[in-house]
Amino acid sequence: MRRKRGFSMERKKALWGWIFVIPSLLFFSAFSFYPIINAFYESFFNRNLLSLRPPRFVGWSNYTYLFNSRDFWLSVQNTAIFTVGTFIPLVVFSLILAVFIMSISRFRRFFQLAFYAPAVLSSVVAALIWLLIFDPRGLANQGMNALLGTTGVNYNWLSDTFMLRLSTIVVYFWKYIGYFTVLFVSGIGAIPHTLTEAALIDGANRWQLFWRITFPLLKPTTLLVSVMTMIQCLKTFSTQYLFTSAGAPTRPLNVITLSIYNTAIKDYRIGRATAMSILLFLVMFAFTWLQLRVSRTEEVTFM
Amino acid sequence: MKRTFVLLLIALSLIFSSIVSAQTIELTYWTHTDDNRSEIENRYIEEFQKLYPNVTIKRVVNEAAKMGDLVLTAFSAQNAPDLFNLPIEQEYGYMIHGRVAPVNYEAAGYANAEELVANYLPGTFDPVTMDGEIYGLPLELTNWAIYINDRVFRDAGLDPDVDYPKTWEEMIEVSEKLVIREGDIIVRRGFDFRYPYYLVAMLPMVEQLGGALLSEDGRTAIVNDDAWLQVLNWFQEFGPHGRNLGSPTYTSARKIWDYDNDDMAMCLSGFYQQGRLRIDNPEFFESGEWRVIPFPVFKNAVQDVACAYYGHYLMVNAQASQEKQYWAWKFISYMLDHPWEYLETVNIIQPRNDLLEDPRFMELPYMDVFMNDMERGHIVFLHENGYQFERFIKEAVESVMLENMDTREALDILREKIQEVLDDEY
Repeated sequence: MRRKRGFSMERKKALWGWIFVIPSLLFFSAFSFYPIINAFYESFFNRNLLSLRPPRFVGWSNYTYLFNSRDFWLSVQNTAIFTVGTFIPLVVFSLILAVFIMSISRFRRFFQLAFYAPAVLSSVVAALIWLLIFDPRGLANQGMNALLGTTGVNYNWLSDTFMLRLSTIVVYFWKYIGYFTVLFVSGIGAIPHTLTEAALIDGANRWQLFWRITFPLLKPTTLLVSVMTMIQCLKTFSTQYLFTSAGAPTRPLNVITLSIYNTAIKDYRIGRATAMSILLFLVMFAFTWLQLRVSRTEEVTFM
Repeated sequence: MKRTFVLLLIALSLIFSSIVSAQTIELTYWTHTDDNRSEIENRYIEEFQKLYPNVTIKRVVNEAAKMGDLVLTAFSAQNAPDLFNLPIEQEYGYMIHGRVAPVNYEAAGYANAEELVANYLPGTFDPVTMDGEIYGLPLELTNWAIYINDRVFRDAGLDPDVDYPKTWEEMIEVSEKLVIREGDIIVRRGFDFRYPYYLVAMLPMVEQLGGALLSEDGRTAIVNDDAWLQVLNWFQEFGPHGRNLGSPTYTSARKIWDYDNDDMAMCLSGFYQQGRLRIDNPEFFESGEWRVIPFPVFKNAVQDVACAYYGHYLMVNAQASQEKQYWAWKFISYMLDHPWEYLETVNIIQPRNDLLEDPRFMELPYMDVFMNDMERGHIVFLHENGYQFERFIKEAVESVMLENMDTREALDILREKIQEVLDDEY
């Protein structure tokens, strides 16, 4: 009798759980799962975005076309360069900044706010601000000339292949550093003070405290930040789009998302564009899966 | 009795409201931002709605750079506006794929196609004619010439009456005299292009030398390598890896020329620039210190080709109901019945004969230069994949100008990419 009552209570709880979850499930089904499934379906067809003719089934040919396309591999290379070039400094410096913020007692909130502020701006606004800075007559050249004691040197922020890639990395770094710093700050804040106090009593210096206590206990946050950064970098679009629209050469900036946009919207080849987006989705999915796998083995509990 | 009366009243009001709603036509008109044009077109809408109370027109304004993407997305989602305008290079695809409706001559106030064509400058409808049907009415037809700031010329010791560039070779030499640099950084440019618009301004340079983008049968990419290489070499010499006279990464020349800040001597623009100049810098506009000169040619040109002209045509959604299409054409015709006001207020030319033959028309500042260049030029290159080809040309020019790629290599890549699109049976 008692068991029956307990079971019914559990069922009740489960029912309420479902009631609360169903709206978000419906939302995600309509706006996330359906588009993904539909994109996968569309990738097997050739369909001109403007045409009223029915799409033509082509099997895997959109995928084989992409694997043989020089432009596609260039966009994969550009995406990889941007991702690696952005995510490593983002993870490292956001951790350093978080440690710095947590180590000071005054102006902590001010620094948090100051670092986080660019994350509130839209990517388009951020790119437009930096376009003005990287203009040949802009602040970037003036600053570099003052710093290196040169006069009138154009560092070609928007034209040289290396500098152009660096420029987009700088924009992204500036925009997202605060966001990931805040994640690390909350990660550090969750470490019990008793552990750091015990280490200090045992004679650990600040360096040892960081490497032996803080860093190992921050592993789940570090993993979360690195995977989020990587996924964010793989999806980069607006900076590259605005830079190329403003006259910067396309070749060094043609990341996968920009290629998807051009293929669908400028070339009307929606089937090929969806095939590209499915490939990008698979890469991101693999990273997410990896994060889940690794984070499960790296779980930290504070006893 | 009372109950029967109430029921009868409800039934009558339902019938009446359904008749009214059936007769009310709601049209959606998408166009690009232009404050001067908005002012007069909003007035036309009010006037039209007063004349025809059964018609409601909703005018939606979008940023010009985003219009192409927005209209395309709306059409692909089967949620397109009833009428819209875009540059003809973009509209061409809509015609090819049957997304726009042919002109309803009766609604537009013409007996037939011949009467419509006879009212406009010869050739006006060539880009919007397909299989004997006309698919758009011209909101504007535009070509570009070169605007010169006389003061900057004199400041550099040049006489704008005689020293203005007539050839592209002279353009480089004159720009060299006008340019001011601080180290590598240009603080005053002699001239600079409108870089994204390669089909309008760069392709005619290739044509001057006997080259073409496609063969006559449209199956082979890049005709006359020498012509293309000479133009690409010209851009390389002009750019930062050559004589460092200009670059796509500097602020758009046309935008800063108006302000007369001693940072831009020459820019490429249309007649409409004068309207913008009048607003941006009325003092400079009235100063008489600027002029317009024709589009230059190469010294070894084999044909005299000016900048290509392009148009914004008003088109009607073929998926709209017949009734909506009828009223859309009627409204378009009503708007376009004011060519003088469009010219005086917005500085755009609607090539109607009654406007062009008016003696006041040719008296407008430098109208003769624009009209002569229009005769020397032709409509912009039109192709289903024209947009894509322009992007490939952009990549080629950027490669040689900004990345210092060998011009032969850039041309080979350009040819390969365009040929792939031509051969692709997508």
